[in-house]
Amino acid sequence: MDQGSTRTGGSLENLLEETSRGNHAAFRALYDAVSPKLFGIVLRITRNRSMAEEVLQETFVKVWQKAEKFSPEAGQPMAWLAAIARNRAIDRIRAEKVERSQPMDDVSALERLAAPDTGDPATREALRKCLGQLDDEARNCVILAYCSGFSREELAERFGRPVGTIKTLLFRSVRLLKACLESE
Amino acid sequence: MSEELDNAAAEYVLGTLPADERARFAERLRSDGALRAEVSRLQARLSPLDNLAAPTTPRPEVWANIERLTLRGAADVPGEPAASNVIALRRRVNMWRGSTFIAGALAAGLAAIVVLDRTAVAPVVEGGRYVAVVDSDGHEPALIAEVDTVAGIIRVRSLKAETPQGKSLELWHVAEGHEPRSLGILKAGLDAQTIQDATGPVDGLIAVSVEPEGGSPSGAPTGPIVYTGRLIPVE
Repeated sequence: MDQGSTRTGGSLENLLEETSRGNHAAFRALYDAVSPKLFGIVLRITRNRSMAEEVLQETFVKVWQKAEKFSPEAGQPMAWLAAIARNRAIDRIRAEKVERSQPMDDVSALERLAAPDTGDPATREALRKCLGQLDDEARNCVILAYCSGFSREELAERFGRPVGTIKTLLFRSVRLLKACLESE
Repeated sequence: MSEELDNAAAEYVLGTLPADERARFAERLRSDGALRAEVSRLQARLSPLDNLAAPTTPRPEVWANIERLTLRGAADVPGEPAASNVIALRRRVNMWRGSTFIAGALAAGLAAIVVLDRTAVAPVVEGGRYVAVVDSDGHEPALIAEVDTVAGIIRVRSLKAETPQGKSLELWHVAEGHEPRSLGILKAGLDAQTIQDATGPVDGLIAVSVEPEGGSPSGAPTGPIVYTGRLIPVE
């Protein structure tokens, strides 16, 4: 689906604007348009269905209350919504000890980033290229942290490294990514 | 930006900060615009990764809960208080309580302007006067509310508060530890209005919510909270 529009005809931007005015029908249309994607994101991080449902609820209550804070100049509406959902999901798994199912590996992320249905082509291609410049371990750490909510400790265990080394690897990788993306 | 902060921003966006560091970073984000911009930029750059998660349709109960939490109290839904808005306002009271004196100083500066302005047209009444500069999270003030506890009135001056079509803006007082209390509807198109209120709110927040035309049917805020401001005493 195109990032900017929905099956209900309104763009996500318009739906957010209408939501900020208290238009509940627009809010419902926004939910219909983006909830499967947001639920997919939080489910993958929380690895716990009931927690993912709570996070999705909290995300949309927050969107209802804060829709006026979205500004089109700040970026894509979908990225703004996903950031709210992801942050809430991460807050929950970091703050609460909850049973989570086995994490999903995503070694094929780089290939899947090349698929044509994943967002703005220029941003996607730049990220694919820059992730491709990281070594395998650094790339996998970034992807497992961002996509699957891996903690420093989980990454340390997965890659058989001390936690401190993982921390340094994460900073360095993000710094390299930023430098690469800025030059794109 | 310091290297330490830069690293924390990277780990905040990746999600690997431990809970306590994450909470501290989030607190800092609220008051640091440059840091917020940096985090948003990085989030936007990594956002194509969001698309790798398989879309999954949530159960219908999820929307039913969201609807209950956001529409509660609207005309067609029998009304309990709008819990989510009440919680949000309470949180904001707490946040303001511990927050910057810069905002307070700014409000005090504006309060001084209000007082100076008023002395030109009306004698200053000795006694308890409090003012709230009510805005949308630090943006240009939307209205100024002055509480005169001696006269038992609240004067509200609208600077840029706009009433959406078919809706009403409702003014609330939120004291710490109390439910929001309606102070009345802001009449659309009026630059200034006086509200009789013998209780004289002296602390906490003044907030404005978007409500169905005529005001909240439940007695609690039901729509989005669009403006808030902390009450401070006028020296």
